[in-house]
Amino acid sequence: MTFQTHDARILEVKELTSREKLFTLRFVDPEVNRSFKYKPGQFVIVDIRGFGEFPISLCSTPTREGYFQLCVRRVGRMTKYMHTLKEGDIVGIRGPYGNGFPMEKMEGSTLVLVAGGLGMAPLRSVLWYALDTGKYEKIYLFYGTKAYEDILFRDEVIHLLKHGEDMNCHVKLAYEVETPSCIYLEKGYSPRVCKGVVTDLFRGETFDVENTYALICGPPVMYKYVIKELLDRKLSPGRIYMTLERRMRCGVGKCGHCIVGTSTSIKYVCKDGPVFTYWDALSTRGLI
Amino acid sequence: MRYVKLPQENFEEFFNSLKKWGKVYAPVKKGNIYSFQHVEKPSEIAFDYTRTMLPPKKFFVRPKDEMLRLKGGKWEESDGVEPIVLFGVHSCDIHGLEILDKVYLDEPVDPYYKKRRENSIIIGMSCMPDEYCFCKSLGTDFAMHGFDLFLHELPDGWLVRVGSVKGHEIAWENEELFEELTEEDMRNFREFEEKRANSFKKHLNKEGLEDMLDLAFNSPVWKKYEKICLGCGNCNMVCPTCRCYEVCDLWMNAYEAVRVRRYDSCFMESHGLVAGGHNFRPTRLDRFRHRYYCKSYFDPSAGFNCVGCGRCDEFCPAKIEHVKVLDEVREGLQ
Repeated sequence: MTFQTHDARILEVKELTSREKLFTLRFVDPEVNRSFKYKPGQFVIVDIRGFGEFPISLCSTPTREGYFQLCVRRVGRMTKYMHTLKEGDIVGIRGPYGNGFPMEKMEGSTLVLVAGGLGMAPLRSVLWYALDTGKYEKIYLFYGTKAYEDILFRDEVIHLLKHGEDMNCHVKLAYEVETPSCIYLEKGYSPRVCKGVVTDLFRGETFDVENTYALICGPPVMYKYVIKELLDRKLSPGRIYMTLERRMRCGVGKCGHCIVGTSTSIKYVCKDGPVFTYWDALSTRGLI
Repeated sequence: MRYVKLPQENFEEFFNSLKKWGKVYAPVKKGNIYSFQHVEKPSEIAFDYTRTMLPPKKFFVRPKDEMLRLKGGKWEESDGVEPIVLFGVHSCDIHGLEILDKVYLDEPVDPYYKKRRENSIIIGMSCMPDEYCFCKSLGTDFAMHGFDLFLHELPDGWLVRVGSVKGHEIAWENEELFEELTEEDMRNFREFEEKRANSFKKHLNKEGLEDMLDLAFNSPVWKKYEKICLGCGNCNMVCPTCRCYEVCDLWMNAYEAVRVRRYDSCFMESHGLVAGGHNFRPTRLDRFRHRYYCKSYFDPSAGFNCVGCGRCDEFCPAKIEHVKVLDEVREGLQ
C-alpha cells in the first residue's frame, strides 16, 4: 500500500557531529531489501511509529548493496527521537521517492559537486557512486561548512583531501569559523582548504563547459550565488542540477506542501524533483 | 448517453430505490447553510440549494481521516468504507471531484480515496446560479462525465442523463419508473438551460489567465489584499479542489496509536515551513498569492484548478472576491 512502511533495522549509529548522526539500515524482510533500488539524489520517508514521518535523502550509494544510510540532523521532535535510537532498533521506511540525479546521462563527464552544510548528505551519494563506478572523467567536490566541527563525513573528506587526486577527485573545503583545527587543516592542504564561503572555492578553477555537470545542494541562500559562479563560467543551465528541500509530507505528490511555481508551471518537489535543472528554475518561479 | 424522464410522481420510489446502493447523502438546509447530510426521505432534501458549505470532497478526502492504526507495534490499514449515494451534486462539484481524481488516482494511487470513490454513486442535479457563481466562464457549468445519473429539472419531473455503467444499472432496475422523453420535455430542458445560462452575474475573464498572472507576480494588488485577508484558510476548507493535508500520529491509549491526516491550508504559516525553521512562504503575501496561482494553474488535461463554485467568496469573512482579485490584477497590468 502506498503509505505502508517497511521495517528496517538500524545496523549502526555513528556520531558525525554534535547535531548529525549517520544511521546505517537494512530492511528486516530480505525480499524488500533485495528489491530496494535507488538513485543518488532520491529520498525516503522515515516512519517513527507513534511520532510521525519525515523525509530524508539517502546519503549512501546504490553501488554498495545490502544497506542504506541516512544522515539525520537533530532539528525537531522526530529527529530528536531518531537520535535516541540505537543499533538493533527498528524504524519504518517507505520509498525511495523523487527523480534523483541523472547519473547515467552524466557518464564520461566531469562532475562539480557543490555542497553547503547538510547538503553534503545527498551529494555524498553521488560522490561515492562516481568513485565506485569510475565512469566519470573528473570529480570536484566544493564543500562549504561553518566550522571544522561541522564537517560532515569528516574522515572521508580528509581522506579525499589526502588521496583524492589519485582517484581523479579534487576536494576543496571552505569554512567560516576559524578554529585551531581548521587552521591546521588549512596549513596542510592550502589552497584547497580556505576560510570563506563555498563560492570562494571556484576561484582559479576552469571547467570544460562542454563536458561538465554541476550538482548543487545546500541551504536556500546558497543556490543563487553558486549558480552565478557557474553561469559566469559559461556552464549551460541544462548542466546545472540542484536538489531542493521542501516540506514533503507524503512524498508522492498528494499532500500539496511541496508545490512550487505559478499559474503557468506548477511542480511538486517530491515527485517532479527534488532534482531540478536551472532551466526548471527559470521557468518555475519560487523553485530557488 | 441515454436520456430518460423521471416523472415527479415516481420520484419518491426512485429515491427509495437508491438506498439499496448505499447510504444516501443529499443537501440539507441547516440554519442559513446547506450541507450534505444523510437523508431518509425526499422531504428532507433542499432541492433549490445553491452550494453546500463543504463540497462533496468531504466524503473522499475527509476533514480528519484515519489512515493507519498501530496495534502491537505494527501499522494496520484502517477500513470503514461504506457505500454511499451522493444525491444532488451540482456540475461544478462534479468537475471538482474530477480534479481531485486527477491528483489522487494518479500513480501512486491513494488507496483511501480510490476505495471511497469506487464505493460511491454520484447523482447530479441541475441548479440556478446565484450572485457568487462563475462556473460558466470556466466551462464547468455543465458536466458531461463524472456522474452516474444527472437529474435536470422539468416542470413535471426530471430529465435524467445516464452517465455510467452503474447509472445504467440503476435505471435498468427501475425501468418501470422512467418514461421516454417527449418533444415538450426537450423544449423544457432547453428553456431551463437557456434561462440558467443567462442568469450568471459573475464572469471570470480566463483569456490568457495563467500567463497574465505569471506576469503579475509583483502586482501591488497582492499587497493590497494581503492587508485585507485574515489568513484564516476558510477558502481552502470550502474549496472543492483544495486538497492539501497534514499528517500526524495520535495516541488513543497507551498501546494504540493512529496515523491521521487532516485538511491543511496554504494560508497557515506552517505550510511552507521545513525542519530547522526555514519557511519557503514566510509572509501572508506569499501565501495569498500562492493560492491564486495554484487555483489558476491550467492543466491541459484537466483545466483550471478552480471550478467557479463561489464558495471562497461566500464563506470569506473578509469578503474577498476571487474574480474581483483576478480582474484587478489584470487591470493593473494594462
